[in-house]
Amino acid sequence: MPSVIETRSVVVEYPSIRGVLRLYDQGVSVKLDQGDFLAVLGGSGWGKSTLVNVILGLEKPIHGSVSFRDHDVTRESFVKRCSLVKTAAVFQRPTALPQMTVSQNLHLALSLAGVPRKERDERIKEALAFFGLDKIERSYPDGLSAGQRRRIDLARALAVKPELLVIDEPTGDLDGSATNLLIPLLRGLNRNQGTTIFMTTALPRQASQAKHQVHLRPPMVLTPENRMVGD
Amino acid sequence: MEKPSWTPIVLSGAIPREATDLLAILVMGIVALEASLATIGPPVFGSRLWLPLLVVPPTVALASVSTTTRRTKEELALFAYGGSSWQILLRYFFRGAICALIAFSPIILQGFLIPSSIPELFLPVLALLLAGGLFYSLPSLRRIRSSSFVEHYKS
Repeated sequence: MPSVIETRSVVVEYPSIRGVLRLYDQGVSVKLDQGDFLAVLGGSGWGKSTLVNVILGLEKPIHGSVSFRDHDVTRESFVKRCSLVKTAAVFQRPTALPQMTVSQNLHLALSLAGVPRKERDERIKEALAFFGLDKIERSYPDGLSAGQRRRIDLARALAVKPELLVIDEPTGDLDGSATNLLIPLLRGLNRNQGTTIFMTTALPRQASQAKHQVHLRPPMVLTPENRMVGD
Repeated sequence: MEKPSWTPIVLSGAIPREATDLLAILVMGIVALEASLATIGPPVFGSRLWLPLLVVPPTVALASVSTTTRRTKEELALFAYGGSSWQILLRYFFRGAICALIAFSPIILQGFLIPSSIPELFLPVLALLLAGGLFYSLPSLRRIRSSSFVEHYKS
């Protein structure tokens, strides 16, 4: 059976004031089979969110490749990747359409994913209730706290029932009680529904809850003289 | 079987509803109304539309650019929901075209009342829709293509 996602020796570079910032100097190679739960652990600025973007096709690596179900998608868009593996993404910064209510946002995401209308209402109701959003379903995202907007993203991603969930620092803006709920929820999703999960975190304790872990290294700075200096 | 559909992205945002859209409609509408009421002008009705059309590109582009922060949030969300760049551009293209069409509707309707001028209206109306759509969606294209766009997903 082909792996759900696989990255091979992925390296990303950014221009910076001191020279070129090179992430994952040795290259990141990860492989997730159906039902895997991988946590990528690293410090701030080590490229966790960039790796999420590379996997989703929002940023392109300078070296290496990304495959979805054995199809090379390194240069393909997120939409193309979703057609190979039904993917939902939760980013570090909350993303919801500001002019739509919480419930309308979920409706739009589900209709885009092609979920039949009848099923949509049921799934949205469940997701909103689970994340404690049912009382604010008619509110607009801009008027809500960061933690509530984070929960909207999680509700939207999980309501889609993805095969692959890519989640960047899941507990970033959540309070203690929501954080305590989330990791068991992800484990439950992974165990009971076989959802493949790719998660990044800066917290070793959180990473230890996943089946597999990858530790990122600090980035390197390539100076104009082509001298490599540790960051 | 769940089959992804692109229409919700386009349809959910095709109707102009922001304050800047309404202001743009108002500005273009005043110009269109002035043109339709003018006693001095080209005798051929369709020709009267061309000059006022020049107001469309800067007005819709301004309406689009003036809500950049909000628009960026919208684009980021649509990508996260599984939308593609062309779907997002189409959404704004329709919105811009509709803004221009609403603003110029008095002068277009006036043209339709004169049966002989209907064929002459075809080209200017097409140009109106294209200019409205294109110049409304261009700022979005520029934002989406910029290398800093995906940085907004990071904290």
